Amino acid sequence: MLRCLTFAARMNFLRASTLAVIAQTLSVSVVILSPAVAMAQNDSQTPPLPHSGGTLRMVAQSSGGTLDPQISYMALTRQFETPVYDTLLAYPKFAGARAVPVIASLAENVPQPEDDGLTYRITLRKGIRFSNGHELNTEDVAASFRRIFKAGSPTAGPYYSHLKGAKECLADPAHCTLKEGITTDPASRTVTFHLDTPDPEFLPRLAWSHSAILPADTPASDTGNTAPPGTGPYRITGYDPTRFLRMERNPYFHEWAHDAQPAGYPDIIEATFGLDQESELTAVENGQFDWMYESIPLDRLGEAGDHFAGQVQIYSQLLYYYAALNTTLPPFDNLKARQALNYAVNRHAMVIYHGGPAVATPICQLIPSGAPGFDSSCAYTKGASPEHPAAEWKAPDLEKARQLVRESGTAGQKITIVAPLDGRYGAMATELRNTLAQLGYDASVRSMTQAVQFSYIQNSDNRVQIALTGWQADYPSASSFLQTLYSCTTIHPHSDNSLNVSAYCNPDIDALMDQSAMLALKDYDASNASWARADRALMAQAPSVPLVQIRRVTLLAKRVHNAIATLNDDLLLSQLQIK
Amino acid sequence: MTTDLQTPASPAPSVSLWRQAARTLLADKGSMTALAVLCIIVLACLLAPLYAHYVAHTDAFASNVAGSIVLNGHEVDIMQPNDNPLHLGLSPIGPTGHTAYLLGADSQGRDIAARLLYGGRNSLMISACAAVLCLFLSTLVGVTAGYFGGITDSILSRLMDIMWAVPVYLFAISLSIITVRHGLQIGPFTIEADNLLIPIIIIALVYVPYAARPVRGRVMVLRQAEFVTAARCLGVPQWRVLLFDILPNVLITLVVLGPLLMALSLLAESALSFLSLGVQAPAASWGTMIQDGEGLIYSRPVVAIAPGLAIVFVVLALNILGDGLRDALDIRNATRRSR
Amino acid sequence: MLSAFLRRVGQTLIVLFGISVLVFLVFFATPGADPTARIAGRNASPQTMEKVRHEYGFDRPLPFQYATMMKKLFITRDLTSYANRGEQVVPEIIQAAPVTLSLVCGSAVIWLIVSVAMGTLAAAMKGSWVDRTLIMLGLVGISMPVFWLGQVANLISLSRYHDTWLFSWVPGPGYVPLTQNPLAWFKALVIPWCVLAVMFIGIYSRILRADLVALAQEDFMRTARAKGLSPARILVFHGLRTSAITYVSLFGLDFAQLLGGGALLTEVVFGLPGVGRLTYQALTNLDLPLIMATVMYSATFVVLANAVVDILYILLDPRVRDGR
Repeated sequence: MLRCLTFAARMNFLRASTLAVIAQTLSVSVVILSPAVAMAQNDSQTPPLPHSGGTLRMVAQSSGGTLDPQISYMALTRQFETPVYDTLLAYPKFAGARAVPVIASLAENVPQPEDDGLTYRITLRKGIRFSNGHELNTEDVAASFRRIFKAGSPTAGPYYSHLKGAKECLADPAHCTLKEGITTDPASRTVTFHLDTPDPEFLPRLAWSHSAILPADTPASDTGNTAPPGTGPYRITGYDPTRFLRMERNPYFHEWAHDAQPAGYPDIIEATFGLDQESELTAVENGQFDWMYESIPLDRLGEAGDHFAGQVQIYSQLLYYYAALNTTLPPFDNLKARQALNYAVNRHAMVIYHGGPAVATPICQLIPSGAPGFDSSCAYTKGASPEHPAAEWKAPDLEKARQLVRESGTAGQKITIVAPLDGRYGAMATELRNTLAQLGYDASVRSMTQAVQFSYIQNSDNRVQIALTGWQADYPSASSFLQTLYSCTTIHPHSDNSLNVSAYCNPDIDALMDQSAMLALKDYDASNASWARADRALMAQAPSVPLVQIRRVTLLAKRVHNAIATLNDDLLLSQLQIK
Repeated sequence: MTTDLQTPASPAPSVSLWRQAARTLLADKGSMTALAVLCIIVLACLLAPLYAHYVAHTDAFASNVAGSIVLNGHEVDIMQPNDNPLHLGLSPIGPTGHTAYLLGADSQGRDIAARLLYGGRNSLMISACAAVLCLFLSTLVGVTAGYFGGITDSILSRLMDIMWAVPVYLFAISLSIITVRHGLQIGPFTIEADNLLIPIIIIALVYVPYAARPVRGRVMVLRQAEFVTAARCLGVPQWRVLLFDILPNVLITLVVLGPLLMALSLLAESALSFLSLGVQAPAASWGTMIQDGEGLIYSRPVVAIAPGLAIVFVVLALNILGDGLRDALDIRNATRRSR
Repeated sequence: MLSAFLRRVGQTLIVLFGISVLVFLVFFATPGADPTARIAGRNASPQTMEKVRHEYGFDRPLPFQYATMMKKLFITRDLTSYANRGEQVVPEIIQAAPVTLSLVCGSAVIWLIVSVAMGTLAAAMKGSWVDRTLIMLGLVGISMPVFWLGQVANLISLSRYHDTWLFSWVPGPGYVPLTQNPLAWFKALVIPWCVLAVMFIGIYSRILRADLVALAQEDFMRTARAKGLSPARILVFHGLRTSAITYVSLFGLDFAQLLGGGALLTEVVFGLPGVGRLTYQALTNLDLPLIMATVMYSATFVVLANAVVDILYILLDPRVRDGR
């Protein structure tokens, strides 16, 4: 989802087909963020890698707002900050499906759950310094976790409320101590986390970017356009949200675990903001920039494939588009109506709207390919049913769908699709409207800017019947696709933050999901198998219509090599080599 | 800006004045050509369903990305895969020169020629209705302000000044953004968000200051005219004066303003629809088609160029007709235009 | 004079106040405009939402919120956006203004020169084929949607004919600050200038021609002709000078509206990060602080320009000057 939100920032505006080459020189009003670092005592620094050096110039449509790593929820900012901040644990920084369970980063070890998952104990690595020279200690860890609540991190509630004392911190952030939740022993460098209730996802959450470890004296409020010091190989030295971001090497960095936080190749990383997708592509094709953050526009996929095939980067991500069906409002309070739409929708057409099979694949389940718990199945395709799902989607089954609509007695009802305002969503919404019309509904589309639409569709007051949206998990896990979107606990009536857009609540399935999650504490594979069952059980109830999972397609300049993209971190900026 | 109204104020224009004007207009080759072009375009747009059904054999509103057509005996996909090694992207079929997909398809595989005609219906309907509504409102405002003067005039004029101060398109965009999601609720009446009445009302509203000024100016001149004073002295009730002496004279101004306002409305409609704030999908207008074409400007420019040319032709014809009418009715009338 | 000036200022302030209150109220009456969830981040717990609501003052009464916003906008100048956390709106406008200024000024120069030339020529050769052609060109100019013309210009100069000698100089366009590289600035803006100017050339040349033709009937022009002055001299020195009044007042208003965000479609099509685009962005994102800031900016410009035009009018037109 992270990316979908940014998609808003990226797509929100420029349909323009031309460009804005914004100042490439960044001379004016460079904000110096971290205190000037006395260049000195770099005996700890690793010798330069081969192919290192140079300035990497990337370009993005717009910036992601605040730089505060514990608050920012934008994919672009996270992209920049992956090589700037570290968490206790981390997802491995290599490509491929094996990069899933978390590994130790600032911590020496991945902790084993103790007391039935109520206690986790880690030991902090020695000799790691922040970019201001301060040496990382256990107090920084405790303070950073307090700061999650004090500064009002978006995920403070959903991710860290299992900690002892977290409830008090949420209710009264100013006086948050968390002294029972986190205990430290500076001498042995150990930090112990005490939980109220077991959290089967506690380890991935120690790797989640909002738990970045910052110096203990970081102000307890949103730092905005200034970036606090971090421990990674780079530090942010200049930022103007309308124009640019600049990162330089952190002189105190040395590689402690290559897979968790590898040393970087470029000396300087510069990002320029303000070009639209079309212009970004042109600029990268001409070698003016090294990497475009946005995806290649649909219109020009052919051109990129024809002339720049060697530079095109295609990589998988855990992002898919779907239509959430409001299960509390007619006609989709009727199971048969929901199933009918699932049978009828032409997912092949949806693939074409995203640029063809090389870019998109049909999806008719709720856990996307590549995520833990994924087990390819499709209940809604020609010749399949929820009881006998096929392995994958083949073709729409309009006859069956029409019959279901007849049985449901909902034909002829008015349906309004609420969709974000941008080309691909627009095309998908029109296709959905067609399908609904074919089924005998009186359907129309209402579109609004994505940033507005995303909170609009969540609020029950707006009585949205069907909403087109996309979802990308914060980290690769089944729960963030199933529990976050379809459990009774994520329904908040009258609130703009109610991620269960379908308002679907089924205690039996909730129990199955809880059970799958808890299994992970003991048996990872059994847990995944159980998640797959939950996925099928949910899909049988059809609370939404999954449409397509898409891959990211971007362009690198000719001189850039060693592109590594992981499921969790997108493309690793620090690993790009300039030749 | 001041408005020059140099026709002398005279009692209700006689039938002969209109006949005279009609004669002048009929003799004006430019105006007649413009009128003919307009008639042809309107007729063509009215025939859109027939064209789609009998000539192009297509549904201009259903997306058809997975379909194919037969051209010269070959079956051709409407969305054609690119043959690059990565198999990236698909392009809609370009102009075929056949009855089916005469001008090619848009990114949803729909027939552009058919959509052009359907879109024209909406564009023309909206601009014509907006122009009429705007004239109606302007007359209301202009006559009230001009005839009653004093405090009424001050309030109405200041209000117009404020509206005048906001750039037209920004004003229209703001109104559209508020209404485009929830529709409009006026007392017991609800207008759905995708109802064409919404752009009509918005466009009519934003151009009221532009048309109300000349009307007000005209009425102010008339109010001082001898025949009005005479009528008032004779004890003719105010509503009779307004209805039989003032309004017929104002009518001349309105007739001249009509085509110009429709031209402005058409441009405004296309701008709003281009920003997805006017006509809502799946309905089409020339503006939404330009918007559809923007995403294809590099591979299939015709998608954006065709509706743009249609707009240019209609607006040009309306402007020429407006000039012709002005000359025929002999009113010098400077109407401000927006960008 | 001073009291008139003060009254003018007072009126301006009242208008600005009215507009800002209106914007504020409409925003809070619009469904789905509550920015709390967007600021707090997705899936934020109700407590975090409450914290944000309190920090941003959304739990206070509306008049208080209005006053705070105005204070942050005009006095402390640290108003931050609701859509993009931490983004200050005043610097954004300050950064966008030079772009719009560059676009509008360049375009104004073009439309003034061309329209005066076209209008005068047409009036001088009234009734000839030159006149008719120029009238027709003007009409075509005002009949083209500016965003479409921009697209076509982009298509021709950047895609279809970019590799020919005619357009190979067109940069991978966008805005380059004048201070950084004047030549690149010029290259980047010259096509947007022309596109934006086209419609105004149409309007202004028509108005000028009509004015000049009407003036030819006036007494002082007849006198000039009777004195034996050459037709060109009469047209330029007597005619143009008199027409300048209408022309200047019209120009002042159009210019101000463009500066205030009226050039939005041109900015959108050419990807110029100007005030119009910023306003549009703020509107679509329902970002109240940015909407408020841009609307205030725009209204100030237009009201100011109105005042300047009024003064110019007094200075230029002897009839008004002496009549007062």
